[in-house]
Amino acid sequence: MTAVLDIAGYTLDYALPKGGSFRALENIVLTIARGEVLGLVGESGSGKTSLAWAIMRYLPGNAQEVGGTIRLNGEDLRSKSPAEIAAIRGRRIGMVFQDPSTSLNPTLTLGAQLSEALVRHRSLTLKQAWAEGEAMMAKVGLHRPADMMHRYPHEASGGEKQRVVIATAFSCQPECILFDEPTTALDVITARQILDLFRRLQDETAVASLYISHDLAVVATVADRVAVIHRGRLVETAPVIQVFNRPQADYTKRLIAAVPRPDRRLNDTTADAEAAPLLEVRSLTVRYGQESLVRRLLGVERERVLGNRAVSLSVQPGEILGVVGESGSGKSTLARALTGLNPFDGEILFDGRRIASAGDMDRAYRRDVQLVFQHPDSSLNPRQRIGEILSRPLKLYGNGHEADFPQRVAELLEQVHLPRSFAQRYPHQLSGGEKQRVAIARAFASHPRLVICDEITSSLDVSVQAAVIQLLLDLQRRFGTAYLFITHDLNLVRQIAHRIAVMFRGELVELATVGELAAGPKHAYTTALIDAVPAPVG
Amino acid sequence: MSLTYLLRRSGLMIYTLVVVSLIVFGITQALPADAAVMMLGENATPDALAAIRQRLGLDQPVWMQYGRWLAGVLHGDFGLSLRTGQPVGAVMIEALSRSLLLAVLSIGLMLLVAVPLGIVAAIRRGRIADLFVSVVSYVGVSFPEFVTATLVVLVMADWLQLLPATGYVPLTEDPLRGIRHLVLPVLTVSVILVAHVSRMVRSELVDVLHTDYIRAARLKGLDERTVLFRHALRNALLPTITIVALDVGYLLGGIIVVEEIFALPGVGRQLIVAIQARDLPAIQAGALIMAATYSVVNFLADLAYAALDKRIQYA
Repeated sequence: MTAVLDIAGYTLDYALPKGGSFRALENIVLTIARGEVLGLVGESGSGKTSLAWAIMRYLPGNAQEVGGTIRLNGEDLRSKSPAEIAAIRGRRIGMVFQDPSTSLNPTLTLGAQLSEALVRHRSLTLKQAWAEGEAMMAKVGLHRPADMMHRYPHEASGGEKQRVVIATAFSCQPECILFDEPTTALDVITARQILDLFRRLQDETAVASLYISHDLAVVATVADRVAVIHRGRLVETAPVIQVFNRPQADYTKRLIAAVPRPDRRLNDTTADAEAAPLLEVRSLTVRYGQESLVRRLLGVERERVLGNRAVSLSVQPGEILGVVGESGSGKSTLARALTGLNPFDGEILFDGRRIASAGDMDRAYRRDVQLVFQHPDSSLNPRQRIGEILSRPLKLYGNGHEADFPQRVAELLEQVHLPRSFAQRYPHQLSGGEKQRVAIARAFASHPRLVICDEITSSLDVSVQAAVIQLLLDLQRRFGTAYLFITHDLNLVRQIAHRIAVMFRGELVELATVGELAAGPKHAYTTALIDAVPAPVG
Repeated sequence: MSLTYLLRRSGLMIYTLVVVSLIVFGITQALPADAAVMMLGENATPDALAAIRQRLGLDQPVWMQYGRWLAGVLHGDFGLSLRTGQPVGAVMIEALSRSLLLAVLSIGLMLLVAVPLGIVAAIRRGRIADLFVSVVSYVGVSFPEFVTATLVVLVMADWLQLLPATGYVPLTEDPLRGIRHLVLPVLTVSVILVAHVSRMVRSELVDVLHTDYIRAARLKGLDERTVLFRHALRNALLPTITIVALDVGYLLGGIIVVEEIFALPGVGRQLIVAIQARDLPAIQAGALIMAATYSVVNFLADLAYAALDKRIQYA
């Protein structure tokens, strides 16, 4: 079997602005045969995207190719002129990008963006290309393709847009296609449909695919062989079954161990279901958008967007309540309402105290209910040192004297397994996982009884995520803190939560214990969600 | 673009104009000038003053006066000049047409120069061409109008003796001479605007060229020209529409200096004369006409923006 894509001994450096260079890829060797899917797995900064740019010949100005070859059906791409490369891109090597909402031009119709590749590479007339594009749209499972051709990107859903991107990549029947995390930006169920589409097209066209992902579970379901990349080196390349069942490299073993599996519980505590609930939410409704003055004067009722519709749930002391749902399902709206960031109807009872609006959330409530956000980059002030960031809640909630703060800050840092010296650093000097630890330390500074975690691990690599989850569980055991753990990752939440609330279009459709959920969910949406999640690996 | 958007945006424009008319009327009321005294002079008898006040309706309550004035304005009647006794509306609108001619020509010339400069600077970012455009545009924007105007006159009219330094000849009277008189003011104003807009085009285009969809277009194998003109410019030029519309405001109000230097009888000059003479109806007419032009231009710019950017439903 001859390789369609053949990379041998490829080494890439990036020149650093202050002189010297950084080795991004070291002696990369890989081949992909016709009809084969090679999964390339690695964490952020591992070099997997650099490899994609090297294949596409789209390297930044400071890239220095030290050696090696990249061959497409025997032709060395490195020796091609820019014009030759332009004729190869899109024609012989296609690419599917991570986020369809940013990889499509907002001012051109989907049809125009799909057909221009056909005009460029297959010398079709505009009319022929349009007809061909429409046929491609039907082929990737878009309903009413004629109509879809005339739509603009903002008029299509994320899944539809990704189908258009995939249709474009396949439209010129390329020999090789690179998929760069094509489902990462999509919701679980949409991602599953895109994966099914990928497999179908892959079988039909026998293209050689490089499937790049950080998600081992996804790669396990689509790839024939897997290459694991770590710090610019391929640490292991083997058939998919072998990699997941008998991993050879230590790094692969660590990576696989970090992937959440619902059958491996990380949390052995139980929540007291009989105790008085710590938090009770009674028919909480959040509406978005404001009534305009004119409408109010005219008495015209506008239909407002519902963020949450009559959500009722409770959290026991020390309980971890998982909240799952797709984007737009209202999980973050719930978190925002509970912290007074959104006005709401209905009522909240915290430790028996009635809270009817954000105005009732006094300092005592805020001390007891803390929030950790998804992106530590935007929730930590970049101009403050970590020590100042952690001193603020101490000051705000009046814990002890200011003279003791440095000591308290050091304790907080140690609680989240960070060195004391980090107090002197600025957020940008920390890694993503370290920053999220600081955010957690800040939330715990006031000794809260409930911490709301809003997708706190979704921007972290899987191994970092595992460590942060372990930290949260340690803190829960130590302080008996309850969590409202909001996530889109069903496998993860099934490892740690006591009960799980499933949200769909603003409503709470199911609230069950982890055991009940494992035995079989009651609501059809929950079933669809569980089925859409790739089976855990290992 | 939906009908709702059109209606909402028109409503906003009308609302703006009503507020402007209130402010304009209010300010002229607050000015220490008595129309009756202005007309009859300091030595008029109280009886004569009372008579003329009654004739002009100045003895009525302020809101009645505003209503009468607004009703007149809606019929195109801005009142009579206290200085000349002629209808002020016609004078102001004629002056406005000259200013608009200057504005349109300046914007046209500016776009012809600024957009290509911005594009060159963006695609040659960090190189000599970019630096050159930066320096030129900063120099252009840093000089006050009167310095630029003086330099232009000095070089083109005095040293090279190519064009007349001042004056105005209507195009309808003698097109060739009319154009010769317009060249220098247009040049002066363009120099100032070029800086503004080329910086804008450059920074927008640099941002757009770094987006994912431009990368996607390149990786489809499209050539650089298609990527630039079909994919990038369309998005990069959108914000420029807004900037140009805002510049019209500057052109109507802010180029009084330019009109003064080149003795171009535009709306700015007329307004100065009116203010100096405390000619209340003329001040009201001038201010309102300028505000209305500005509102209409911004209205059109928003419509153009909404027509080009399909994502905009309402503002």
